[in-house]
Amino acid sequence: MSAKPVLDKVRDVVNEVDFNRFRFWFQLVAFVLFVYGGYLAIDLGSKLPFFSCGYNREGRAGVCYLLPLQHQLGRPLAMLFSMASLAILTGFLTFVLWFIVLNKGWCGFVCPLGTLQDWISALRRRMGIRFSNYTQGQFAQLTKIKFVLLALMILIPLGVGGGIFSRDMSPPFCLICPARMILPMFTGDFSQFTVDFSSKTAIFMTALGISITALFLVGSFVKKRFFCFFCPMSALHYLISKPALLKLKKDGSKCTRCGDCYAVCDMEIKEIADDVKTTDIMTDDCTLCLKCVASCPESGALKATFAGIPIFVSTEAGFIKRMNKGCQHGK
Amino acid sequence: MENEIHQVIPIQPAPYSRSRQAGEAQTVLDHIVDDFEENPAAMQYFYDLFRQVYCHGDEIPHSGKLVGTTCIQAPEELIYAFGATPVRLCNGSYHYDQRGADFMPAKSCSLVKATLGMLSSDNVIPKIGKPDLVVNPSTCDQKKKSSVMIEGMGYQVYDLEFPNVKESEASRVYWRRSVREFASELRKLTGKRLTRANLKAAMAMTGRAQAAFRALHNFRRQTPSLILGKDAFLVTNAYFFDDISRWTVAVEKLNAELAERQAAGFRAVQSKAPRVVFTGSPPIFPNLKLPLLIEEAGGVVVADETCSANRMLYDMTAVDEWLLNDMVDSLADKYLKPCTCPIFTRNDDRKRRLLDLVDQFKADGVIYQAFSGCQVYEMEYRSVAEEFNKAGIPMLYIETDYSPDDQGQLSTRIEAFLESLKNRKKRRA
Repeated sequence: MSAKPVLDKVRDVVNEVDFNRFRFWFQLVAFVLFVYGGYLAIDLGSKLPFFSCGYNREGRAGVCYLLPLQHQLGRPLAMLFSMASLAILTGFLTFVLWFIVLNKGWCGFVCPLGTLQDWISALRRRMGIRFSNYTQGQFAQLTKIKFVLLALMILIPLGVGGGIFSRDMSPPFCLICPARMILPMFTGDFSQFTVDFSSKTAIFMTALGISITALFLVGSFVKKRFFCFFCPMSALHYLISKPALLKLKKDGSKCTRCGDCYAVCDMEIKEIADDVKTTDIMTDDCTLCLKCVASCPESGALKATFAGIPIFVSTEAGFIKRMNKGCQHGK
Repeated sequence: MENEIHQVIPIQPAPYSRSRQAGEAQTVLDHIVDDFEENPAAMQYFYDLFRQVYCHGDEIPHSGKLVGTTCIQAPEELIYAFGATPVRLCNGSYHYDQRGADFMPAKSCSLVKATLGMLSSDNVIPKIGKPDLVVNPSTCDQKKKSSVMIEGMGYQVYDLEFPNVKESEASRVYWRRSVREFASELRKLTGKRLTRANLKAAMAMTGRAQAAFRALHNFRRQTPSLILGKDAFLVTNAYFFDDISRWTVAVEKLNAELAERQAAGFRAVQSKAPRVVFTGSPPIFPNLKLPLLIEEAGGVVVADETCSANRMLYDMTAVDEWLLNDMVDSLADKYLKPCTCPIFTRNDDRKRRLLDLVDQFKADGVIYQAFSGCQVYEMEYRSVAEEFNKAGIPMLYIETDYSPDDQGQLSTRIEAFLESLKNRKKRRA
């Protein structure tokens, strides 16, 4: 038996996998690793490209890069412009290296906060409640917010370092990030759920944080991947995604624009169905969850590639298996 | 005086099987069955079905309310979910075409005329019974204007509002709402409720039928062909009125036979037979004039882009969350977004689909049928021809109708076209 048929067989098995189930288990394992890995003394550094929250002091298996980034940018200006800031550059490079491996796949497969939203969605689904959608106009406006948050996340620490803003505003994004309050709770730490009354700024920031966390819980119950839409990490990812290894590719000539991919997209990305010209089809909102590939009935129209090698390709057989469970042959 | 009139011997009504209409069907069916060699054994089911329904005028039993549809845009999954049976009313009979001429201007689409002719006649063939509701999606002008006429014939008609632009978000929202309104109309008609379970069951049923169709479609990629296009058209035509589960089983049997043929290296045509993609106005039994002329002349129809076959069954629905709302929305999208009907403003998708079919099915050329009077297909001819010119794919454009009068002229044109395809192939080889 030559290697080729074996390889083809492996490819068929992968392409026809029960994708949602695979992704559920992958996310669960990743969640456990990054929320509880610390207890097993796992430490993957502090340059991780997803919300492995640093405030989850005991359980974390690594720290989200946004925490050290904001701290570094918040140094006094004299220090910021000294040789000491080489560390900022090397830190950023380490972050980029992590990021390049999975691209936005970190969001769709690994990020604990993303996984948590999927679980909240599953809870809603089980209760038989439908999800909500944005209108096209709302989408066009809201999609910009993550870039605004990214800009603020860089500018405010610089302002803190320059003495314009109070230290109590640092690190600004972490203070309002729902992960700071929610993820430590999984290891029994509820201490983040407090309003800091030490100063007016502190009261404002921590209260804002609590409101956003409440909004997060309600939002992700109503809307699939509610928070990812506003995530500055997602914006940062998009800006550096060119050299990434994991890619989402589209062959427009095979696309019928049936919209099946759009129908399953948690982020409501229309381009995935309508754009038949772009081959690199990952947009700024994409979480690279690859549900679109799994729900595409046209063989080869959508695929995930790793370093140029197709690893998961849409196939007609895979689609039929996943969508029409049990109706291929008479029962 | 009066007595004399009463003494005239009344004319006995002739049985349907001896009517001119049955004769038309009989001639075409005999041609399909007898004039070609080595028809697949599993095709017998379809030959028998058409003989019973079109030649003998046998009744087709159905369960629940009967919902007639005049277009593929009426979501049949919804009709099944309400326990009703959909039947496609688009008709291919020349007899009805002539009858329907009373309703439409002289230069109108044969299909629309035949459908009107069928609905207005006392003895409707196929004998499906009187539809409890006729769903008429607002697609082309001729179908739109038929609505009131069908209503005038004593049918209950529902105009399913269909957008004529499909790219915009407004059209998606509008169509989704239309489909929901259609569902509530069906609820009124049947007195049943749409539930997650019955819609899912209906979708599984059509999903299985579509999977069977796709498998058949894929077997037609094989060179030289395993099955002729005339048989494939007959199979998809049967979907119009046949019981869906029985139809699916019959197609699965046919697929099994084609798999055997493939394994045995069977050839349904000569290896040099020109491979043709068929597009344009839909061939509907008994009007399989063009596909039959093509295959008599030694060509083979390997794929099609018509609403009586590929467009009706190819596109499948994906659902993310199997809740009623998401299922209905996804269904609505499936009926609008991938549709390549020429009634839309733009036809980029149709051109892309055709290029892809030619490429995937290794076709040598394309034959474009436009029913005279079907303005939208006539108007799209130019842009499609330009696209094929650019791609270097030969295309033959044929304007025709249900009348058999032009057969001689058409067969000359088709033979010449196929000959040129053969020569081109030789030169390339």
